[in-house]
Amino acid sequence: MNSLLKLNEVNTHINQFHILQGVSLEIPIHQVTVLLGRNGAGKTTTLRTIMGLTPASKGQVLWQEKDITALPTYKIAQLGIGFVPEDQGIFPLLTVAENIKIAIQDENDKQTQENLEWILNIFPDLKIAWKRPAGHLSGGQKQMLSIARAFINNNTLLLIDEPSKGLAPIMVHALIEAIQEIKSKTTILLVEQNFYMASRVGETFYILDDGKTVYQGNIKELVENENLKRKHLGIYKKTV
Amino acid sequence: MEQIFVLTLNGLATGMLIFLIAAGLSLIFGLMDVLNFSHGALSMWGAYVGLWIYTGLDQFWLQKLSGFNTSPWYPMVNILDFFVGILGGMLVGALLGWLVEKYMIRPVYGNHVQQILITMGVMLVLSEAIKLFWGSNLIAAPVPLMLDGSWQIGSLVVIKYRLTIIIIGLIVLGALYWLMQKTKIGLYVRAGVQNKEMVQTLGINVRKVFTLVFILGTSLAALGGMLMGPFMNQVYPSMGIEKQLLAFIVVVIGGMGSIFGSAVAGMIVGISEAFMLYFIPDAALAVNVLLMAFVLLIKPSGLFGERG
Amino acid sequence: MQILKNRGVFIALLLVGLLLPLFTDSQPVLLLFTRIFILAIFAMSYDILLGYTGIISFGHVMYFGIGAYSISLLLKHGGESWVNVLLAALIAVILSAIVSLIVGILSLRLKNTYYAMITLAFAELFHIVSLKWRSLTYGEDGFNFSSQIPDFLKDRFYFYYISFIALLLVGYFLYQFTKSPTGKVLVAIRENEARAEMLGFSTLYYKLISSTVAGVVASLSGILYAISYRYVGSASVFGMDKTIDALLMTIIGGVGTLFGAIIGAGIINLAHQFLADLANFHPIFERWLIFFGILYILIVMFFPSGILGTFNKYKYKFQSRKVERDKSHANSS
Repeated sequence: MNSLLKLNEVNTHINQFHILQGVSLEIPIHQVTVLLGRNGAGKTTTLRTIMGLTPASKGQVLWQEKDITALPTYKIAQLGIGFVPEDQGIFPLLTVAENIKIAIQDENDKQTQENLEWILNIFPDLKIAWKRPAGHLSGGQKQMLSIARAFINNNTLLLIDEPSKGLAPIMVHALIEAIQEIKSKTTILLVEQNFYMASRVGETFYILDDGKTVYQGNIKELVENENLKRKHLGIYKKTV
Repeated sequence: MEQIFVLTLNGLATGMLIFLIAAGLSLIFGLMDVLNFSHGALSMWGAYVGLWIYTGLDQFWLQKLSGFNTSPWYPMVNILDFFVGILGGMLVGALLGWLVEKYMIRPVYGNHVQQILITMGVMLVLSEAIKLFWGSNLIAAPVPLMLDGSWQIGSLVVIKYRLTIIIIGLIVLGALYWLMQKTKIGLYVRAGVQNKEMVQTLGINVRKVFTLVFILGTSLAALGGMLMGPFMNQVYPSMGIEKQLLAFIVVVIGGMGSIFGSAVAGMIVGISEAFMLYFIPDAALAVNVLLMAFVLLIKPSGLFGERG
Repeated sequence: MQILKNRGVFIALLLVGLLLPLFTDSQPVLLLFTRIFILAIFAMSYDILLGYTGIISFGHVMYFGIGAYSISLLLKHGGESWVNVLLAALIAVILSAIVSLIVGILSLRLKNTYYAMITLAFAELFHIVSLKWRSLTYGEDGFNFSSQIPDFLKDRFYFYYISFIALLLVGYFLYQFTKSPTGKVLVAIRENEARAEMLGFSTLYYKLISSTVAGVVASLSGILYAISYRYVGSASVFGMDKTIDALLMTIIGGVGTLFGAIIGAGIINLAHQFLADLANFHPIFERWLIFFGILYILIVMFFPSGILGTFNKYKYKFQSRKVERDKSHANSS
């Protein structure tokens, strides 16, 4: 298996709190890897640690075999990692166009232009709102903008944090379709609480609990493991 | 009518000078959460160094060429000296700003209390250092010959130097607008004011943007200080802290991180000060403080600020 | 316990304070120490804001000035009487409480940095009023009210002890305040305001309490200050350099240690005197603020906890090492 990113027993402290206490995972290329786990298990912190926003205090983050644990955030991003945070992190006062433009590292790059066109076809709403301030977008549209922004730079890995959070079911469906299309072009590490969405798009699954990876497997194993689902994901089998 | 025109023009000129100081303050605060308490002192360094270069060059030519002061070329050389002084002052402002950012603010990055306290110390040291080099008394700051005097347009009197300040202010405002709206770096700054962390995750070295903005801000403050000297016919060490107070008021009224807000608030404060100084001179500052209190009551984030 | 932790320092200060007048009857020395005590009260009130709540004020001098002007104006215009002294204290307390509430409500809802700017603006407003309202305040020149001060307060020896006792009382009161539940919430706000807010504390309310307590105490020190000089002038009690003095005293003594402010006040005032004498030798000492500015920057950068704070830290380290050593001794034997 060819892994793009690898976390090796990563530990992260925020102030005096020991949030990640040994997270290990491997993200295979051209796949969607899903991080599951309860609230407070350390999923968001894992993404932030990869991005260098809350740097690891112990352990390693390896990008294509290269140690990037101590790199500053902007250098990590320049490697080709796009980040879609939980709150979308769009700039509300900038227009949709500016929100996209700020991410583009090389405006003359043909691939970037193609990516832009391609992603705007997946999210046509953005084209309509192109000149409007991003703060006026709906929650789902903000999510689209954030994903589009992370994608356009030929980024080889997208870190997406709970995209379905707070969205109406119909939007979740649209999002699932979009992610299924995007995954043909890039690798995705997805944090998701919505098990339905996770099971629809994910290939490899990790479960975090108390800041540690406690499970790794594929969708089939996960669906069959009732005990695991009950313990860590709070999913109970319906008794018919 | 004439009086109102003169006062308005005077107020606009004052407003522009305060705007030049406040613009950097507001950007630095909006982007980095640093209340740069040394801003006024940096502006005074611009004023003193600029004036020193300007009058020094002027004296140099006068001594070198006898009878030069009656030559028709003299006013031109004189105004050239003035602009060289402006450039020199701005360079010193930029240099000091770079040093302050790099050695004072960056080491305690992330701790706002420490940053403010340190810039306060920098203010102390810089303003005392001014006294060390130039003494603590007033120094005369002559208006360049070509900009001295006034034009008579009908019954209206336009004082040349004030108009010059307004024009320079407008040019700076236009340039800042272009920088903010049309360039990539301006885009980074506007985005950074809203969400610093996200800017970094897009592959942008936000620290570098901070440094640039800091240098830009302090060099504009130095420009403001340098232009202020001839406007008040003098420079003195405590001028920095006095104007800094007005700049604070302007930043609060206009809103953090908004250049446009600083410009509008600068004009409001400048004009209100000019009129008050004419009608009730004792209450000039009081009116500005009350204006600020009023804005804080109705819109705490300032007229054009989005965040509190 | 802070007091017990610094017991040595505390007892030494107490002894020096109590016994000093027995060893010297030099008026200037007594006066110098009287002013150290008074400014220490001022600095302690500043530490409540900076050290215990984590907010910076650049206009703390306004409360100081309110106190100084209320005593001097009342005595000047009302004549010598104890009633006027008490009345002045009452007015100063009420006025500074009102002002700190107004300033606080305007600015403390926002980021703490606003507080710094807005206090500065209001302090400047008071400064200007005292400067311009000549018929009342005699503006820049100020006025002397020494003939209206009750004799008891004019005696340098008695006034020394009055100031000293005031320092002890205020110190005790502020110490209790910082240890009270309210004081604990303030420290929580200093450490992490968002978290304090999330725990359900109205941080605005607590910050207002803090700034009011600090303002009232500062106004009391202003009263004592004016009596000690028997004179009041706008620059001396409303000038920004008094705020800077408070900042220097607090930072150098140790932010958040309360009693560090006393050490800071001592150092700043003694050095003030010393450097002023040195200015006769070389004019660079006239610019003594440069040295303090540099010292201050270095302290903020490298010893953010100041003299007393750093001292406590090393003491802790030493003690914990000692405890460990004792433990290992106990284990080996």
